[in-house]
Amino acid sequence: MRRALLVAERELRAERAQPDGLFAALGLTLVLVFLESLLFGPSVAREPAVAAGLTWIALAFAAMLATTRSFDRELEDDAIDAILALPGGRDALYAGKVLALTGLLGIVAFAGVLLTVVLLDLDVTLPLHLALVTALGTVAVPPLVTLYVALSLRLRARALVVPVLVLPVLLPQLAAATAGTAAAISGDATGALGWSGLLVATALVSGVTGLTIGPVAIE
Amino acid sequence: MRSARLRGARVALGGRTILEDIDLDVAPGLTLLRGPNGAGKTTLLRALAGLVPLSAGDRTCDGALLVLGHRPQLLRGLTARENLSFFARYRGDPAPRVELALAAWGVPAGELPVERLSAGQRRRAALARLDAERWDVALLDEPFAELDEDASHALAVRLATLGAGGRAILVATHGHTELDGSRTVRLAEGRLA
Repeated sequence: MRRALLVAERELRAERAQPDGLFAALGLTLVLVFLESLLFGPSVAREPAVAAGLTWIALAFAAMLATTRSFDRELEDDAIDAILALPGGRDALYAGKVLALTGLLGIVAFAGVLLTVVLLDLDVTLPLHLALVTALGTVAVPPLVTLYVALSLRLRARALVVPVLVLPVLLPQLAAATAGTAAAISGDATGALGWSGLLVATALVSGVTGLTIGPVAIE
Repeated sequence: MRSARLRGARVALGGRTILEDIDLDVAPGLTLLRGPNGAGKTTLLRALAGLVPLSAGDRTCDGALLVLGHRPQLLRGLTARENLSFFARYRGDPAPRVELALAAWGVPAGELPVERLSAGQRRRAALARLDAERWDVALLDEPFAELDEDASHALAVRLATLGAGGRAILVATHGHTELDGSRTVRLAEGRLA
């Protein structure tokens, strides 16, 4: 765990110095949320399920973008090789990337959800439930995104392959996060908590899957 | 004993055999791995480091391994100090060694990220890992590339000293660099001569 935290710290330091991954993820999320409000019109866009769904789709793409950029940085000058050659390097690299991405996605999710609420003038009935669902969704997404970006690390068509591989396996997380967010917006506390429970389960499954396969997948 | 070894190693990448039937011991002291371009030196080092899978044979490494590739392996966006501190902390080494190592290798640690250093300075920063971290076995791929005459001489002296001190060091080079106290193995077309 100590080594994973060191990798996460290294990642966040690099991101702070060159925040292109964060800015790209933030930009994509904000543009998609903004476009939604323009394309669907206020009555449809303010539907809790529509607003929540598009926000989480944007966050899924933002996570892929930030993770891909993070591994691109590792491939420059073969920085990744130095970590892989360290004792326990593969495990630390995977877990560290997941931790760092969770932090970055947390920032993007906070901004994305806030913008959705402000831009669409949503009346959020259960803000604490909304925060809980957002936090759990932010934790549930990174393990699988990191896993599939690692799996496709040396592929030329990575930009195409990553979403094609990741989005189908992210469906349970995205569906639960969307339904939970919509429930929190519309004041359904039981629904929000129920979907939060499913998010916890998917986070555990994807976390264990990622920690089992991810380190082996990194080449 | 501090060493790394390959026994009957075969490496095939993309359907092409790069290394075949490699038996190599990197024992304490300094070993030069020579061979022309494309002979498979880099792949051999990567095989020893466990960075490429063996399709046949075994790899073992006794002791802490340090790998310095033909590229600097430093993360862009971070300074040389931040990069070296990460490696040192990862291994549980004391931080002051980083400052001493950077000073010894003449690296401007400052606040400049490594991508803003010259190629030679980045190489020096990478080589400073030799002194910033605790290791038993080191694998260096073309470490003299991009170094000026003074730095090349300093590296040759440092490697000879470390080798004489009982560390196991393998240096891959296609050049004619001579290192005191070194033994040489030759690689041609994926096989050791």
